Amino acid sequence: MSKNSELQTPNSKLQTDWEPKIVAFLCNWCSYAGADLAGISRIQYPPNVRIIRIPCSGRVHPLFIMRSLQNGADGVLVSGCHPGDCHYISGNYIARRRFAILKNLLEYVGIEPERVQFSWVSASEGEKFAKVVEDVVEQVKALGPAKRLVKRKADPH
Amino acid sequence: MSEKVIQKNKMVDFLNELLKAYKVFAPVKRDHIVSFDAIQSSGEMLLNYLNSRIPPKEIFFPRSEKMFEYIRDDLIEVKEVLPSEERKVLFGIRPCDAKAILLLDKVFDSPDYQDPYYLRKRKETIFVGMGCDRPQSTCFCTSLGGAPFSEEGLDLLFTNIGDRFVVKGITEEGETLLEKYEQVFERAKKSDLDDKLNVEKEAVNRIKSKIALEKIEKRLDKMFEDSFWDRIYQKCLGCAVCTYLCPTCHCFDITDETMDTSGERFRAWDSCQFALFTLQASGHNPRMSGKERVRQRIMHKFNYFVKNYGEIACVGCGRCIKNCPVNFDIRQILLELVS
Amino acid sequence: MQKREKLLKEEVKKLLDKKQVDMVIGYEKGTLALRTTPCFLASVDDVDRLVWNEFCENNLAKYLPGRKEKVAIVAKGCDVRSIVGLIQERQITREQIFIVGIPCEGIIDRRKIESRLGEKEILEATCENGKILLRGEDFQEILKKGDFLYDSCKVCKYRNPIVFDLLIGDRVPELEKIDEYAEVRKFEAESPDERWLHFQKEISKCIRCYACRSACPLCYCEQCFVDQSQPRWIGITDNPSDVGVFHLFRVFHVAGRCVDCGACSRACPMNIDHRWLLKKMEKDVKELFGYEAGLSVEEVPPLATFKEEDPQDFIK
Repeated sequence: MSKNSELQTPNSKLQTDWEPKIVAFLCNWCSYAGADLAGISRIQYPPNVRIIRIPCSGRVHPLFIMRSLQNGADGVLVSGCHPGDCHYISGNYIARRRFAILKNLLEYVGIEPERVQFSWVSASEGEKFAKVVEDVVEQVKALGPAKRLVKRKADPH
Repeated sequence: MSEKVIQKNKMVDFLNELLKAYKVFAPVKRDHIVSFDAIQSSGEMLLNYLNSRIPPKEIFFPRSEKMFEYIRDDLIEVKEVLPSEERKVLFGIRPCDAKAILLLDKVFDSPDYQDPYYLRKRKETIFVGMGCDRPQSTCFCTSLGGAPFSEEGLDLLFTNIGDRFVVKGITEEGETLLEKYEQVFERAKKSDLDDKLNVEKEAVNRIKSKIALEKIEKRLDKMFEDSFWDRIYQKCLGCAVCTYLCPTCHCFDITDETMDTSGERFRAWDSCQFALFTLQASGHNPRMSGKERVRQRIMHKFNYFVKNYGEIACVGCGRCIKNCPVNFDIRQILLELVS
Repeated sequence: MQKREKLLKEEVKKLLDKKQVDMVIGYEKGTLALRTTPCFLASVDDVDRLVWNEFCENNLAKYLPGRKEKVAIVAKGCDVRSIVGLIQERQITREQIFIVGIPCEGIIDRRKIESRLGEKEILEATCENGKILLRGEDFQEILKKGDFLYDSCKVCKYRNPIVFDLLIGDRVPELEKIDEYAEVRKFEAESPDERWLHFQKEISKCIRCYACRSACPLCYCEQCFVDQSQPRWIGITDNPSDVGVFHLFRVFHVAGRCVDCGACSRACPMNIDHRWLLKKMEKDVKELFGYEAGLSVEEVPPLATFKEEDPQDFIK
């Protein structure tokens, strides 16, 4: 059974020095280049994201997202090419359906919807990328550390 | 050994006394499922039950259990995690399940290997049996050398004779309990003992499934390549219900759960019915299909275990029959094998 | 029922006699009350073993993937939809199977009956004219069939098979005015905390026997994600995080494919409510992509395709 601590609203108890960890899966062809552009253009965005480069948003298996949450990510961001721009023609379209279902499923079992987010960021949208990261970090910060689905050490006997 | 009587309304007192001195495991019903669990008060225990869905083996051999912890920094440090040795009473175990624990002892407490995780939990446990006055249609313990009121593996045996139980002390531990809590027991009258005999006789008569298993080990010696297995395995789904709910199945898998530089080693139940069970690193799987896996289940229980430990690894509790999603009935297999 | 069973035997006999099929997959009498068991018949002489009644709870489509021979399969409305799924996903060809469709008025939920009777063993059960007659050693009981159907049967919209080569007996009336997503909406209206607690409660019962997976007609992967060890996706212990991810991903994997035949719930020895997640998936797939599983062999499963105008307001 779930411990009561999982049900407390974390906002009130936030440690001041706590910073969320966000795992970001970025498509090699658009969003990763978008992040790169943000960097080259010296656009500031919060350093909370840990970027994992993937060939296409269609490569993102739902287990990547769930495993991230299990292993202590406070939020997950998946970002790919805009519809119509996929390097592999339709990878992001297929991914879009998957994400829609997965997002609803996670929300249905009580995981905060802001924990798992999606965006389309093209290679030329450095500013958008920075904005997306800012938004995600801000929203996850407001939620506090992730509690649900996080894998904790088992109690001793 | 002595026989006493306890009125049913005194059972609460007895359990409460036990709870003061021991951790008590007893059958409880949660979400319509009967299982053995530690109880805090006497009221939680179910007195009127057929048998638990999950066998009591899980008290000594849980579905998943931590073996040790480790830190992997500059140096590797291993921290032993052993279960505590508490004094326990396993209250209300059926004789078939008590027999099953004796079979598990052969595996986990053999001359070659003594399993500390199992034994530490097992050692200080008193087994209070509840005789099986209502064997079910799926019960066939008598075909395996058991009986609804068998005393094997028990310290005390309760027999329900209406408004009271006859309690028989079987071992010294059992006798000690009878003496220690003598205030709740009464002297057994001749009529009580007669009633007990009748209840026992009636229970034995209720067991309709009878299979002559004396020659099954020899028979199976010649069956490994038989086409029999091609026919019988077909409907098996390959889930682990039969093995996980079996009181004698004891296979486990070992896994490391590492997080950063520290981790824990676990063992968890595993089942010969899973494809992965025998998958080798090369990709080869010697038990490629359901046929080999079903055969393994039967062979292990009725042939290999007999060769290794001298007894059949089945107690006839019927759990695998009752809970199989496709009504795969081991009795039918056995009947065909011995006919 | 008996009429249908008789008809079934006659038709199956003809199929085997004329060698139209090599084998028939159907149901035969089980060894327990309230049950039947799957059977595989290749000879005309065996056909009399076939039964059809309100206890034929298994989804026999499970036995189709990987078959080489031409098989006839006895299939209820839901089972047929699973078969359609298997054809769509090329696990079997339409030509290879002969579907013996059986209109079905609902299957009896043995667990509901057992929990109603408590610790009494049922030795014999029959069903006639909407009444379930139960007999044990020292009791008899008559229950109303309608009160003890599987939850999936109570909201079934396809009691008559939609694809078949042969239909056994007359069609049965379809249920009217059913609200199949009432439960889902109830959960959706609850708070996230309540939903999380419900999820934790359900998965805490799980013993990881994988009967839910093994019974599912659409779980045919050669290696299941949960069995994979390189990489190991899901820990094998009873850590609630791993158990939770197992259940979430299993459900995700059958999203848009599940036909709510109820096989997983029926197989589960721990009475886990699998349907509360599955129905949610089904509802979402329908609302988002306008798709319902197992209705046409020509269609492509919804998560293997897309439309340009698919909803994306959740994407930044």
